[in-house]
Amino acid sequence: MEKSQLFGRRLPLEQAPASGHGIPALRQVNGRWRCQRCQQWVATTDYLPQQIPYCRHCLNLGRLTAHTKLYTIPEPNQFATLTESPLNWPGQLSPIQLAAAQAVKRYTMAGRDQLLWAVTGAGKTEIGFPALAWALQQGWRVAWTSPRVDVCLELAPRLAQAFTVPQTVLYGGQALPYKYCPLTICTTHQLLRFEAAFDWLIVDEVDAFPLATSPLLQLAVKRAQKPTGSHLYLTATPGRDLQRQVQRRQLAVTYLPLRYHGYLLPPIQVRLVGNWRQRLSQPRLPGAILRRLRRYQQTQQRYLLFVPHVADLSPVQHALQHAHLDGGVTVHAADPDRQSKVQAIRDQQVTSLITTTILERGVTFPAVNVVILGGDDAVFSTAALVQMAGRVGRHPDHPGGEVICYCHSQTRAVQRAQRMIRTLNRKGRRLGGRRP
Amino acid sequence: MKNCVWCQRPVTSGVTLAAMWRWAPLPSPNLCAVCQKRLRPLHAPQCPRCGRQQSTTKVCHDCERWGDSWVNHAIFPYDATLKAYMQQYKFQGDYRLRLVMQPYLRQALAQERYDVLVPIPVTAETWLTRGFNQVTGWLTDQPFQQVLTVDAARKPRPQSSKTRQERLQSPQPFSLQPGATKLLRNQHVLLLDDVYTTGRTLRHAATQIYLGGAKAVTSLTLAR
Ligand SMILES: [Zn+2]
Ligand SMILES: [Zn+2]
Repeated sequence: MEKSQLFGRRLPLEQAPASGHGIPALRQVNGRWRCQRCQQWVATTDYLPQQIPYCRHCLNLGRLTAHTKLYTIPEPNQFATLTESPLNWPGQLSPIQLAAAQAVKRYTMAGRDQLLWAVTGAGKTEIGFPALAWALQQGWRVAWTSPRVDVCLELAPRLAQAFTVPQTVLYGGQALPYKYCPLTICTTHQLLRFEAAFDWLIVDEVDAFPLATSPLLQLAVKRAQKPTGSHLYLTATPGRDLQRQVQRRQLAVTYLPLRYHGYLLPPIQVRLVGNWRQRLSQPRLPGAILRRLRRYQQTQQRYLLFVPHVADLSPVQHALQHAHLDGGVTVHAADPDRQSKVQAIRDQQVTSLITTTILERGVTFPAVNVVILGGDDAVFSTAALVQMAGRVGRHPDHPGGEVICYCHSQTRAVQRAQRMIRTLNRKGRRLGGRRP
Repeated sequence: MKNCVWCQRPVTSGVTLAAMWRWAPLPSPNLCAVCQKRLRPLHAPQCPRCGRQQSTTKVCHDCERWGDSWVNHAIFPYDATLKAYMQQYKFQGDYRLRLVMQPYLRQALAQERYDVLVPIPVTAETWLTRGFNQVTGWLTDQPFQQVLTVDAARKPRPQSSKTRQERLQSPQPFSLQPGATKLLRNQHVLLLDDVYTTGRTLRHAATQIYLGGAKAVTSLTLAR
């Protein structure tokens, strides 16, 4: 095995490598076993025959048992500084984007932990480019990570085009082997395989599941970063924890409250519709919803209809057909035809898609309205609601569109989402943002 | 509160989800309602020989090609759910997932008629890396006899990575443990394996079991 494979990593190996040192993968602390990769406690029920404990928490990175050893070689900082910028991107930032990009770069140079709070459709990836170019030029080792594999997959080819440094991509089930490179693109989960490796970490969609709710992944980010390193969080919807860190000045913050086309975000309009779920079993939907969808169909406006649960998809479709509306196409996370269905609405072959939260981020459609059924359901977090609303009006030719949220009752999450959009639009207006 | 052993979601004994599936038996207290619903047992019409789910009750093409009268029973179709299960349990080595299938195996074994239960063994090498036999992991208190051993040198690649042709041509990997004949003579033996794919493995095992003096050999697999 190439020695560099172990630089700043923490790998279970069958055989001890020529150099590097190993530690037991599981350690006993006060009679309980603790995994040294993910730092989780091993339950007393999780053992192999002969009472050999193993860790179930990080199983999909390769099973660790009390007999496994983890090997590492401390990160040697072997990347050369570059005389020229590695950025090879033909695009141009708008004046507002440029101001944000310069702020991000300044904080990066100062080694500050920071947050870029950019609205959906602001072009936050490219805003990170100048800072990243500077970091790579210094010979820094950098990781661009996201809790979502689809974000990584979408990002990797863009970074490969924009930066002339060697890059490696890491995610569950990847096709190419890992290489020691100045730039690593990986899921945050994969960071559990690193230790004090990166001078700078970018965490894209930091509020997305599962990172936002997982102490394991938060720890992974912390441990993969060098003690001297820093990180940049990217998000459109920071959770309260991040906002608190901003208030306490633990995180420097750069706001980008305007989309790249300069229009404000569509507000979330809430409509109370009584107990729609009860009627759905008939199968019926409240008249207000049907009237709106009928109007969309008659005027040939595309829409995304979000429902809380996979189990709601087909009753909603039936209720629409029952009302003589086009039932549209349904799609959910485990749907085997997910890719082709999403492509169909992108290509404007279908006019409506009924879906769960999988499409809440990352996926861009040219001109759609968003209808959220049961926005008060517990599965819809504030971030999810803002992200769903963010599907609307992303294209410069179609900056308008509606976001209607049908609820049985108002909830905190819905109110916070409305407030977040209002606050961002207030900041956006100060920068000259216009109503579509 | 308990968590589902498979998906880790809390197992709710409450109203909403449980009520929707009340008609279904609850074979596994370790599973949440969602995971239980994902596990859909094989149902008729099936091939009368291998248990494969199909559109008729005729002997399927594969069984016809074997030209014997082998009888296999299976519990689940080897679909995406079962593949995901086997991936985590067998290939990632999540031994705790044995709990998912134990109730199903108990139920299925209770319906089988046999004298001696013989699980398909794993190689010594697999024991070293995986640390368990995935088949015996599903057994709770059912007595079984480990009368077969498997030769690693003859099982160079995992079954799942071979083509059908290669699998059919694979040499006999099994041999009998010393003293096996005492246990097998004149007995009806039930072989137990994880997945029936071509039936090659089970037939190799049966050849040896018959050499040990068994009067009948049939098989039960988790999946077909
Ligand atoms: Zn672990
Ligand atoms: Zn479950």
